Amino acid sequence: MASVARRETALGREDERELVEAARRGDRDAAEALLQLHELLVFRTCRRLLPAGEDVEAAVQETLLRALKNLGRFTGEGSFGAWVVAIAVNLCRDRLRRKRLVPFLPLEVRDEDGRNPLSAIPSSEPNPERVAMARQAVNRLHGEVSRLPRRQQEVFALRFFAELDLEGIATALGVDVGTVKTHLHRAVQRVRVAVEEARP
Amino acid sequence: MSIPHLKDDELNLAVLGEDLPPEAAEHLAGCLVCVRRRDAFLAIVEMARGADPDEATRARVRERALAAWGATNSRHWVRWLAAAAAVIVLSLLPLLRGRAPAPQIINADAVMVEVDQMLDRDPLSAVAAEEIVDTVVPVSYESGERSVS
Repeated sequence: MASVARRETALGREDERELVEAARRGDRDAAEALLQLHELLVFRTCRRLLPAGEDVEAAVQETLLRALKNLGRFTGEGSFGAWVVAIAVNLCRDRLRRKRLVPFLPLEVRDEDGRNPLSAIPSSEPNPERVAMARQAVNRLHGEVSRLPRRQQEVFALRFFAELDLEGIATALGVDVGTVKTHLHRAVQRVRVAVEEARP
Repeated sequence: MSIPHLKDDELNLAVLGEDLPPEAAEHLAGCLVCVRRRDAFLAIVEMARGADPDEATRARVRERALAAWGATNSRHWVRWLAAAAAVIVLSLLPLLRGRAPAPQIINADAVMVEVDQMLDRDPLSAVAAEEIVDTVVPVSYESGERSVS
């Protein structure tokens, strides 16, 4: 599983630090390179922390803008990716709090266009029954995740959907790795059992 | 002797890719049932993750963020420029004051004496001519009309 730490290794922490420094000085190319490197992480985070129907693109754009405006506050102690995800998590929390929205997708999964993304799974495959069961399991997963306590939801989403490693999650949520592990194990236990129950 | 399958907490560790106790790791290496349970869950998670946004969407969002940031940066420079201008003006203010003519010191008592002398000569000279006419002789009286009420 690709983690933030591994993705950053591809660029190198030093190179990334140089990009951050250049962006701080107003270098647009450096800022663009930074965004390109981490925008997918932000997309995945916002999409899973905001409910269906929320403007994910606007949330991502706002997160990226906040990151650029606050580059001076990035200390370089943790990974830049985790720092950006922390901004995204806070932004999503603010939106949920403001609108009193229930995070995550409802039982019936819908994408931004209101279609069920699972319908993209071709039903004419050799074993349509298995496909139907898989759809059911995915819906069950989303449903169970939506019923988790908020912190467990965030940890689960950051681990499995944003693909952050434990340290990245800890940095993003401002907690220690032990706390992340505790929440993650509880979340996985609940969700895994629910998904297995949905399967034959 | 059959080794028991992974317990819940061990299966959770396997799902999370964390280190298992040696016995559990050994079991997982040879147990198709446990491997399938782990992989099935991860496959469902993978499906639930959904597709990532396409490059066009990513580029659009990125460009908007950069444009907004650029605008902020510009305003930032304008603010600095205005602040610098204000500092320069404030620092030059004492110099400008130094060149200005010294304020004339007015002797209030002398002025009052002068005013008294003027009023003694002609009490109405201090009032504008038109104002005197309007006040003493209203326009309606001049034309011979008179209010009935």
